[in-house]
Amino acid sequence: MFSLTNSRNSLTNTVSIWLNLLGLLAICGSLLAAFYYQIVLNELPCPLCQLQRVALTLVGIGMLLNIRFGASNTHYAMIVASALVGAATSMRQVLLHIAPGDPGYGSALFGLHFYTWGLISFVVTIAFCALMLCIDRYPTKSFSRDTPRTIANAVIILFLILAAANTISSVMVCQFGSCPDNPTQYLWKF
Amino acid sequence: MIMMLPFLTTLIAIALSMRGMRQEAIGAWVVSFIIFLVWMKYHMTDTLNISL
Repeated sequence: MFSLTNSRNSLTNTVSIWLNLLGLLAICGSLLAAFYYQIVLNELPCPLCQLQRVALTLVGIGMLLNIRFGASNTHYAMIVASALVGAATSMRQVLLHIAPGDPGYGSALFGLHFYTWGLISFVVTIAFCALMLCIDRYPTKSFSRDTPRTIANAVIILFLILAAANTISSVMVCQFGSCPDNPTQYLWKF
Repeated sequence: MIMMLPFLTTLIAIALSMRGMRQEAIGAWVVSFIIFLVWMKYHMTDTLNISL
């Protein structure tokens, strides 16, 4: 009986780590897409867009903690809280552009603007947490034995680089103050 | 409102997490979250351009 419980525990640990890694990878993908539109298409992020990037990063930190230290209710609570405030920010931006004839802010991707995708992403993240809290029935403090170290390290380093790039980008767009509502050029160029 | 501040604190949280400092990373996350809420209030309390 002990070994059966142990083996089930190990299975859920592995599933948990892989799903959190996939979640973190999806966050990195979203931040990379945002950078693509910013750098290649020169669409500078508005203040609400930047707040959504922060919320995505806050969600990612919860997932990173799950990968690095093992799943915990605290980490999932952090993810849900971040996704809730992120969804509120996205919803606010959707409402800003909901009036008929409003072209919206920035380009559309598959017919939806990025803030609409943001709202969908944050809602999916909350659903993801609901699922994970069912799977992670035996949370432990350390997952190091099960962690796919090479892949995990690559994703975590990519996440760190994107967070650093976002910090630099926010200084370039807003300098050390509040951002313009509709930025059209970088306020600080290196 | 310094927009780079929450980005900086999240970056610190990630770095602390990578160094194995869980409690400190959660602390940095909490600071980031509070800054986020303040910035959110600042950017989200003007009137919406819609009429019902």
